[in-house]
This record gives sequence, C-alpha cells and structure tokens, in this order.
Amino acid sequence: MELDFSPLLESWQYLLGGLGITLLLSLMTAAGALVLGTALGLGRVYGAAWLRVPIVFYIDTQRAIPVLVILVWFYFAVPILTGISFHPFWAAWMALTLHIAAYVAEIVRAGIESIRPGQVRAALALGMSRTQIVRKVVLPQALVRMLPAFGSILSITIKDTAIATVIAVPELMKRAETIAGQSYRPIEVFTVVALIYFLILFPGTRLIDRLYKRVAHLGRS
Amino acid sequence: MNLDWSVVWDHRNELLHGALLTVLLTVLTMLVAVPAGIVLALMRLSNSKPLALASQWFVEFFRNLPLILVVYWAFYVMPVLLHIQFSAFTTGLVALCLNVSAYNAETFRAGINSIRKGQLEAAMSVGMSRWQAMRQVVIPQAWRRVLPVLASTWVSLFKDTSLVSVIAVGELAHVALQIRSQSFRVLEMLTAMAAIYWLMGYPQAKLVDWVQKKFEVKE
Amino acid sequence: MTSSANARKGSGQPPVVVYDKVRKLYGSFVALDGIDVQVNKGEVMCLIGPSGSGKSTLLRCTNALETIDGGRVLIDGVPLPTDERAARKVRQKMGMVFQNFELFPHKSALDNVAIGPVTVLGMSEAAAREGAMALLQKVGLADKAHNFPSGLSGGQQQRVAIARALAMEPEVMLFDEPTSALDPETIGEVLGVMKRLADEGMTMVVVTHEMAFARRVANWVVVFDHGKVVEQGPPEQIFDAPHAERTRDFLGHLGWNG
Repeated sequence: MELDFSPLLESWQYLLGGLGITLLLSLMTAAGALVLGTALGLGRVYGAAWLRVPIVFYIDTQRAIPVLVILVWFYFAVPILTGISFHPFWAAWMALTLHIAAYVAEIVRAGIESIRPGQVRAALALGMSRTQIVRKVVLPQALVRMLPAFGSILSITIKDTAIATVIAVPELMKRAETIAGQSYRPIEVFTVVALIYFLILFPGTRLIDRLYKRVAHLGRS
Repeated sequence: MNLDWSVVWDHRNELLHGALLTVLLTVLTMLVAVPAGIVLALMRLSNSKPLALASQWFVEFFRNLPLILVVYWAFYVMPVLLHIQFSAFTTGLVALCLNVSAYNAETFRAGINSIRKGQLEAAMSVGMSRWQAMRQVVIPQAWRRVLPVLASTWVSLFKDTSLVSVIAVGELAHVALQIRSQSFRVLEMLTAMAAIYWLMGYPQAKLVDWVQKKFEVKE
Repeated sequence: MTSSANARKGSGQPPVVVYDKVRKLYGSFVALDGIDVQVNKGEVMCLIGPSGSGKSTLLRCTNALETIDGGRVLIDGVPLPTDERAARKVRQKMGMVFQNFELFPHKSALDNVAIGPVTVLGMSEAAAREGAMALLQKVGLADKAHNFPSGLSGGQQQRVAIARALAMEPEVMLFDEPTSALDPETIGEVLGVMKRLADEGMTMVVVTHEMAFARRVANWVVVFDHGKVVEQGPPEQIFDAPHAERTRDFLGHLGWNG
C-alpha cells in the first residue's frame, strides 16, 4: 500500500478553513445550547406545571431523534413550511443548538437535584428567601458539579458538527470528503483529518478534568 | 404547499425494513460492544502495563473521534488493509462496534472502580484470587451501577445508526432519504422519518429513565 | 408536674417559645403527639430521648422548617405564621445549628458567617465581614477565616456554623445534635463554645445525646419517647432522681450512672 499525502499538502489551507468553520460552529452551538439549556433546566426544576410538561416533552423528543434527522429536517423541511431558506451554516447552528440544549437542560437538572436538602434547610434557617437560596447557595454549587458534564457537552458538540457535512456545511468533515473525492486518496485524507479531530478533542477533555479537580471542593457539601 | 402523505403509506414496507435494519444494527453492535467493553475495562485495570496502555489508547482514540468520520474511514480503509471487500452493512457495523466498545470500556471501568477497594480486599483476604474476587464480589455489584449507563448508551447507539446511511447501508435514514429523492416529497418523507424515529426512540428514552430510577445507587 | 417550677430559670418573664399541644404527622405516623413545653428566656433546654422520638422534629417545627398538624407554636407569644414570607421574618429571630454543619462549600468561613447579614439583613459586605471576623474570634477560629469548609475539620466547621447562626443576632439558638457527627476529640471544642454561649445568657434549645453536657449546662431537660414528653424538669431531677419509668430505662440503656 503506497501512500501519497500530497493532496493534503496542496489543500492545507482549504482544510484549515474547514477547521475554522468547525470550531466556529462548535463554539456558537455550545454558547447557544448553554443559554437555552440552562433556561430549560431551570424551568424544569423550578417552573410551574404548565412550563414543566412541555419542557420535559421537548427534552425527551430530542433524546429520541438522531442529530442527522434534525439537521436534514431543518435544512430541507423548514424552508418548505415557512418559505424561509437558511444558509447551511445557520441551519446547522439552529438544529444543533436546539438538540444539544436538551442535554444541557438535563445536566442542569441533575446538578441542582444533587445539592443536599440540608444546604437548603440551613439557608432557610438563616431566613433567606427561596430565590436567594437558588441564586446564592444551590446554583453556585451545582455549577461546579456540572463542570465535567459541560466539558463532555463541548466534546459532543464538536463531534456532532461533523454530521453537518450531510447538509453541505463547509466544515472540516465536508472538506475532507471533497479532497478525498477529488484526489482519490481517501485513506490518507481521512486518516489525517481523524488525527486533526483527535488533537482538538483529546486535550480539551484533559483540560476540563484538570480544572474540575482544582475546584471540585467548592461543590462538595 | 401541497402535501401528499400517501407517499409514506405507499413505501411503508421499505420504511419498515429500514426500521428493522436500524434495530438489527443496534442489537448486533451491543452484542459485540458489551463483551468488548468488559475486556477493555479489565485490560485497563490489570497489572500488566502494556495491556493497560493499549486499552487506554484504544478508548481515548475512539472516544475522541466523530463517529461519522470513523464510518467513512472504515469504508475506505478496511478493504485496503484487510484485502477483503466488505458489504456496507458490515463496514457500518464495524465502525459502530469500535465506537461503542470504547464508551462501554469507560462505563465498565468506572463501574468497577466505584466498588470500594475494601470489597476486593475483603474477598482476597478470605483466600480468593484477584480474578475470583473480581468475578464473585466486584463485578456483580458493579452491574447495578453499569446498567443505567448501558441503557443510555443503547439509546445513543440507536440514534447513531443513522450515520451509517452515508455509506448507503439500508437502515431507516437511508431508506427515507432515498424515497425523498425519488419522489420529491421532501417535507412528507423527512417528517415521516423523524416521526418513525420518535416512535421508536421515545419509549426507549422512557425505559432508560425507568432503569435509572430502579438502579439508583443510594450511598 | 414539677415542684421546682418557681426556681426555674427565667420564669419571671414571658417565655420565648411555647409549644402548646403540638402535633405532627408524617402520613399516618405520629411524630409529635401533643407536646406541652415552654422555653424561658436565658434558659438552656436539652431535649433527650431515643432516636426517632420526635426531638429533632420538634426543633424543626420551631423555626417553621416543618409545619405542624395540631396545636400551636408561639414565638414571643405570637403563633408561627403559615405564610412563607412572614415565616422568614420569624426565622431571622432564631439561629439553627445542624448535625451535618451544612456550611456552604463554595464560600470561605468568613463569608459563610457573613452571608446571613448580607443577603437577609441587607448589610454591606464590609460591615458584615467585620462582624463575622469578631464572631470567628469568639469561637476561636479567627485564623481560619479565609479557609474553605473543605479545609476545616468537623469541629472547626461546626464552630463556624455556630458563628454563622449567631451573626443574625438571634433570640434563641436551636441545636440539632450538634456533636453527633464529630470525632470524640473535637466534640469538646464545640461543647465548650456552647457552654460559653449559655454562660452569656443565650436562650438555647439543644437536642443532644451528650448527657454529661446536659447534666452540667442545661437548666431544664425534656425527655422524649415515641412523640410524647415523658418527663421534664431540672437536670438534677432527670438524671439523679427521675420520676418516670421510661426516663430510668432510657438512661439505664445509655449506661448512665450519674
């Protein structure tokens, strides 16, 4: 088996551009999912029944449907329904954000529910109001505990952006396919791109682990 | 916007076949990936440094790659490396197995580690070998902690089978997208695809909740 | 019930807390079955009895952490409000110390003590911190002010918890088995702080298993069993010459030889 990496060397800028789109899409998705997911999570824990029931249904629906299906539906079906068509990047951003927000919501819920009831009682005994207790005692501790899970959410987000290739978002995976197709050198191309993904994802999780170890004691009651 | 939903009914057999293939892929993958995960976990926890390292690298590698990339990579690399022409189905299955084994390895490792060392030591002090202690005392207890995570991995896997559609494996996503291209009934087919996944996936997600509640570990 | 009522500490003034036929149910389980007790100003009252006899439940009903199902709890002559907002105001008058300390792990010792005045009383952070420092000094932990709970021993955490409760300047301090989760070596330092508080005239209700402490420091002892008050009186009576059979049984089981 002879290997020829020259197509990669020739198109390295093209690939780098793809990496840039991957990272941009990932960060924007993570940001959006964090905001939406936290709102949903808080609504699920502290909201009234009319809020909780649709939120739970939404979260469970996102758990049931593959990302690929949501991406494709957003890009192809929504324009037919609404008459607005989106650039693939924005379709991907919306689809991924809506999907991953459901997972963030569950993480937020688990974090809040893991706080010992004794902490709430101690805060009540001091005379704090329920809102104050959530803001000053429950959430700060819960946020620390959620850190490892948030780290894995970022990792999942980056991996899910690769699926956006099916709606032709020009991120790293799509560009890898393009070069592989043009150069007839799929093994070299996909192996190198695999390495690139690994090099972005692997250190990220290690870093989050290390950061968490330092601050974990702030969440341990 | 004129919708014609009969296209879904007309192709119901193909869609059913696709759904069955999705289930088949899920079941077969788990049949391989659960034992593989156990083996990898035990390798990682063993006293042999090379085995532990090999397991660690395998797991870190496949947990840090997008599955869709692994699918493509397997599709192009396997025939060349192994000199056999595999079917798309087999290729997709291999990719799924590699991916899920790595996640299961971590699940089993965490489950085994969560059983206090004292249990292992107590068993060994009675005279059991390390291996016997693991089998008789640690692993039976670890199952309780592992089952909820496995259930959740199962549902993720079920959804991830949709990714092998990119190499033309005839599971649900591929079938639905094919019908869409042929019939031009985009909204109907995409919605039907989402609905069928939802019908299959929603109960599974609820089952996972039940499993997690049942096996909740109260410290 | 007791002939030494005249000699009872604080009996010249209106009582701080009155439990009037208090009943509490958990489903069909009767946790408190008609409790009639009053807590006088400046008095140290110890609640003793077997586990599950209702002592901690009564304490939690005192500051409305739990609701009652019958009877009344009067604080300074006023029944406990059912409205959450009003209950919050009443809670500010009482300080509570928990078995598991329940310090907030994300705040330093100093900030744990200051959080009550800042959040609830609206005090400025600087002023609250000053007051907190003084209180930490009082419990002997001024040098640990900037430590986080994870860096403090159990006994130290509990002393910080006491300071945190004192920061709200309560009229009465409620202690729920304050030393049950501590190593034997550190129990002494916490009981020492509690005794000093008692000597300064703080009204205290203490649920405890530390009989020696109760014998020495309490002004009034209430014996619980199965949700009822079996006997109450000065420590000399309860420990040296108990009236009730149940009291004798309970102390006997503890190996109490006076």
